[in-house]
Amino acid sequence: MSSSFRVIARSTESADYIALLGNIDASAEQQLQKLPGMVDNQLVHFDFNQAGRINSMGIALLLRCFKQIREEKKAKIVLRELNPTNTLLFKMTGVFMLASHEK
Amino acid sequence: MAAADPPVILALFNNGADTEAFRPLLNDLPGLLSIENPPAKERFAEKMVSLRLNPALVILSSRLYPESRPELVAGLKAIFPVAEILLITLATDPLPPLEQLAVDRIRHLLVTPADDEQEGIVSLQEAILRLLVRTPWKLQDYVRPGSRIHEFPLISSNQKEALIAYLEGAIIGDSQEMELLRQRAALLADEMVENALYGAPQGKDGRKLYCKGEERIINVDEKIFFRFAFDGETLAMEVVDGWGTLAPEMVVDFLARNQSGMDEVSDEVGGRGLFIIWRFMDHLHVNIRPGMQTVLGGHLKAVSTHDCESPRGFSISTDYQSA
Repeated sequence: MSSSFRVIARSTESADYIALLGNIDASAEQQLQKLPGMVDNQLVHFDFNQAGRINSMGIALLLRCFKQIREEKKAKIVLRELNPTNTLLFKMTGVFMLASHEK
Repeated sequence: MAAADPPVILALFNNGADTEAFRPLLNDLPGLLSIENPPAKERFAEKMVSLRLNPALVILSSRLYPESRPELVAGLKAIFPVAEILLITLATDPLPPLEQLAVDRIRHLLVTPADDEQEGIVSLQEAILRLLVRTPWKLQDYVRPGSRIHEFPLISSNQKEALIAYLEGAIIGDSQEMELLRQRAALLADEMVENALYGAPQGKDGRKLYCKGEERIINVDEKIFFRFAFDGETLAMEVVDGWGTLAPEMVVDFLARNQSGMDEVSDEVGGRGLFIIWRFMDHLHVNIRPGMQTVLGGHLKAVSTHDCESPRGFSISTDYQSA
């Protein structure tokens, strides 16, 4: 699996589906900044199945991105396919206060 | 010639049940004097003076401080200004609120297992004795004797991914525990190296010299090293930088801010990397020689006895010298 960060996004009539691939760190900043503008629906699914390591900078960027989606798009965010380490990381840094976890 | 008396260790507990809970940890410590439910303020000071005590170390139970007796540490520091203060808590107890620890500049928090597991007890007793002689922790203290220590001098920020891949490769095994350990090791190494590369370098005004993620060449004078050792069960890691800019009083402050920041979801909280390192380690160690060196490290086990909510310990020392 490549560690370079990538985003794959698609929309249906009722929800946006966004897959985050690779490590999420400072190098993901520009792409994560653009994400809120890509949201069309009031339900957004984020897929972390192919996400790698998420460091503290990545957490800060995700928090900013999720807050913007909630505030500007009034959208609900659902996170799926998190590995155990990222689940714990999201729990301890408050990410789950902005997004629910689909197990 | 008579043998020297052991240094006095004063231990303060909430009550008899509290003393009993910590008995396996403290039973064999030489020079230990335990007091249950110590009297308040002036009476406590009078009692200490009347006993002519001069402890090298004061051990406090988290069932006594900070919640029951928040004023206790300020009083102890006034009476025993040079004594080290160690807060101990059972792994099954909740994490003590860190805000008061930050205010009182508590530098040592030890989490002890709630059972009589001998190996854990011995390692904690060694940690206590190390506080008495003021020597910093070493990687080899946490892995089996003879375990190889891998060392990486860093000369470029581009080495980070190769270093992490090497670390992951050294953790051999297909079990779920080993996969989890690899994931955590990679995250911790990432945070530790980023702290040394982008957090430590500061100008005279305290401003950071580099932005996170920026590609940069590391000057040989920065003396940035990453080390790890793995014995098949325990992984110990440390990062060393030659800046020595991490202020000891800021460490617990960062941990406290991030711990309470969970309620307000801020993306701008400082010290989040340090907080993550602490929460994933079984115990975090920081030794700072101001302006000269910071060593930040710790250990974690493949099969951890701690669940994700249980408290984690830390030791923050200044100018401890290797024996």
